[in-house]
Amino acid sequence: MTLYLLLAVALLIIGLHGLFVCAQLMRKILALNVLTTAVFLLLVVLAQAAEVLDPVPHAMVLTGIVVTVSTTAVALGLMVRLLERRGGPVSGRDRDSRNS
Amino acid sequence: MNITLATALVAGLPLTAAAVAFAHPRVGRMAALGTGLLLLPVLAVLVLEALRTGPWRHNLGGWTAPLGIGWQVDALALTLLALTTLVALAAAVYRVAEGRLTRDSRYRRYFWPLWLFLWGGLNALFLSADLFNLYVILEMVSLAAVALIAAAGGPALAAAWRYFLATLLGSTLYLLGVALLYGQYGALDVSLLSGRAEEELVTLAAAVMITLGLLLKGAIFPLHFWLPPAHGRAHAAVSAVLSAVVVTAAFYLLLRLWFGPFAGMLPGLPAQLLGLLGAAAVLWGGVLALLQRHLKMVIAYSTVSQLGFALLVFPLAAADALPDQAHAGMLMLLLAHGLAKGSLFLAAGCLAWQWGSDHLRRIGPPMAGGSLPAWIAIALAAASLVGLPPSGGFVAKWWLLESALAARAWPWAAVIVLGTFITAGYLWRILRDPLRATSVDSAVVPAQGPPLPIPLAMPWAALLLALAAIASGLFATALRSAFAAGGLAG
Amino acid sequence: MGAPGLAFDGILGAALLWTAWQAIHAAGLFRAVVSFMVFGLLMALAWVRLEAPDIALAEAAIGAGITGALLLSALGRLDWEAGRATDECLRGRDRAFWVPTGLLLLAGLGGAAWLLPAPGLGEPVAAELGRSGVENPVTAVLLNFRAWDTLLEIAILLLGVVALWSLGPTPWPSSPELVSPALPMLGRVLFPAFVLVSAYLLWRGSHAPGGAFPAGAVMGAGGVLMLMAGARPWLSGDVHGPWRWALALGMVAMLGVAFAVMTGGHGFFEYPVELAGRLILLLELAAGLSIALLLFALYLGGEPPADWETRRPA
Repeated sequence: MTLYLLLAVALLIIGLHGLFVCAQLMRKILALNVLTTAVFLLLVVLAQAAEVLDPVPHAMVLTGIVVTVSTTAVALGLMVRLLERRGGPVSGRDRDSRNS
Repeated sequence: MNITLATALVAGLPLTAAAVAFAHPRVGRMAALGTGLLLLPVLAVLVLEALRTGPWRHNLGGWTAPLGIGWQVDALALTLLALTTLVALAAAVYRVAEGRLTRDSRYRRYFWPLWLFLWGGLNALFLSADLFNLYVILEMVSLAAVALIAAAGGPALAAAWRYFLATLLGSTLYLLGVALLYGQYGALDVSLLSGRAEEELVTLAAAVMITLGLLLKGAIFPLHFWLPPAHGRAHAAVSAVLSAVVVTAAFYLLLRLWFGPFAGMLPGLPAQLLGLLGAAAVLWGGVLALLQRHLKMVIAYSTVSQLGFALLVFPLAAADALPDQAHAGMLMLLLAHGLAKGSLFLAAGCLAWQWGSDHLRRIGPPMAGGSLPAWIAIALAAASLVGLPPSGGFVAKWWLLESALAARAWPWAAVIVLGTFITAGYLWRILRDPLRATSVDSAVVPAQGPPLPIPLAMPWAALLLALAAIASGLFATALRSAFAAGGLAG
Repeated sequence: MGAPGLAFDGILGAALLWTAWQAIHAAGLFRAVVSFMVFGLLMALAWVRLEAPDIALAEAAIGAGITGALLLSALGRLDWEAGRATDECLRGRDRAFWVPTGLLLLAGLGGAAWLLPAPGLGEPVAAELGRSGVENPVTAVLLNFRAWDTLLEIAILLLGVVALWSLGPTPWPSSPELVSPALPMLGRVLFPAFVLVSAYLLWRGSHAPGGAFPAGAVMGAGGVLMLMAGARPWLSGDVHGPWRWALALGMVAMLGVAFAVMTGGHGFFEYPVELAGRLILLLELAAGLSIALLLFALYLGGEPPADWETRRPA
């Protein structure tokens, strides 16, 4: 239990770090997914820590997983259109959003 | 009408309409306009009930908290629901009229379902009293908003992408805080948590996470970087709702939490910090608005600045001299700002259509080519945004100032006054060049051609919102007592 | 738990950390995506260890399966060579900031989470389970106690589809040269198995782990496999004919039931106790079907045409 708790926090840090450090848009999406999974893990650990196994966090995480797949799909779609429009490499910080 | 049904319709109607608009794109605009027209009487029923019996709560599925999800109907919720309906309806009218000028078919086919999802999400958000339910709703609102911004294409795609990343990170931080609260108190309901929350380490950590997430979503200084390009580049109808209501939604949650479960921790450092962020937003957003060359960008930066005024409610209410006045001022500010901002974006959209650009030097004179209604809307909305009596903006800032003076909080009072001058400065800039130009040819940069005629409904939608912003000031006393009846501080 | 269990958890934890790190920092996006899929599968194991079989099912089907397919398909659409040439992750940057921040977060959040009493809602859920209409507590929470969340969740799936379709047309069928010759046959053999598994999960959901979400996810994954195997999706026609209603079915059914029970003098979503079981089954069927279709529609990555041959827009 303690182990999974530490795992959740470690994943949280890996996700946060990746989100800020990586320039490639795809990696930012992956980092966000790791980050979200870390929070889900924390919820499920809490469910197990309760005296009676708590189904509410389980339901919350199930809902969260479905919500996340939807946002990930849209983020990927947006990323592909954005990079196609640029016609350039997959990486690089968004140059054309700088000039405003 | 049955009150429970009315409450359920507020959240359920836009979602039902969204499904219809998706399955039958041809009836999309009827679905959107119908939703708005039906919601007006429904909201009137709820407001009358609140005036009669005060705030109330509805337990969904009949399950009480902590098991079930609750809806909270009070002055704060109803004010923001009314604001959402007015702005969304006016913007829908604008968009329907604008539709005659465009041919982009994919955008047309998917605009209304996205719009109605956004609307339904906002309505559900202002009703909900459950922190996890609010997480789901926040994701829904973000997703719809991102798609609507991206629909403008071109540079808006990059703006939509940055907004999406910021808002997804914000939601995750928020959820992390909610998980901590749940682990500590075994509850997700705001009022239940208000009763149980204590000032200790975990609650503080949760408060920090949730606040960070919401500051990011609400584009509150210094996390406002994503807002100006996103709001400045989206289509005008979309910008209007985003700036008037969507960022307000994140701020609304800050209010619910800091005057609810976290209220015990507010006095002292948190209140001063939130106030400082507000003051910095007022000044920084205002100065950047002064430096913009495009009309919509001026208005977008002004959103950053104006929301800063609302943040001052935290130190002012915590100072406890005239807390109700601070609350009423903040509520009035959200209402008046939302109406004025919606009007400004719609009017800016009209001018951009007519002159082919929203660059401040390309917009022609008010008397040319029937752009007068849009200019009147801009002038009225600007009057309210600056705070000229008798507008809603004036009343809002006056109440905030009264509260600051009563608390002898001179720095906050100075911020309010200084911010008002800066607001006057950038709004005057909008009006200056076109007013100087007397004919189409004498515009600073000559237009490409004569102004394009646009359907009259477009500027009229803007004008109606501006009039509502002014009117909210005229009925200030009535609104003040209504706020009090509806349980002001939540 | 015992020593073997602890050792297993330790190895699993280390593997999760490594795959998560690889998913973000591996050289080459392809490796990163594959690492992420392995991460998802390992997470499913972790959910089992944490006594959350429902989540394990959903994670395996959605987290690893559908998300992995989405990631790979997005990767296929990017300029692959350019992607490799400019592969960069500024790993070493700001180390002076990230190492102390990470340690601080680890200590602070870990400590805070460690202190949590975690009272949980297991008891109130168990107390009301009899009136919920189902025996599985997770299903009871999803479709009765917190049904409004679930409605919004299905609405978000539908919204995701609308948002993706609004961005542009689908790239499918995009790269037929990737398809292995064995895949079409495999797909046709496997698809009935996917349908059977989904039906089983759906039926099981009322009393044991399973239910609409895993069932829908498995069926959706089957559909994605068929698409990869070269099958033409049926989703076509002018304004996609009845398909759009099928996509909206889950949300509309939930809204319909939520409002319909109000005619009997009940509140929003307040099922009459004697009907609760049947209503939930109905909603699960509708939700499962539409989740399968919605996940499939997400995978299309854009608006399907009215006619797959001519690619005329719908």
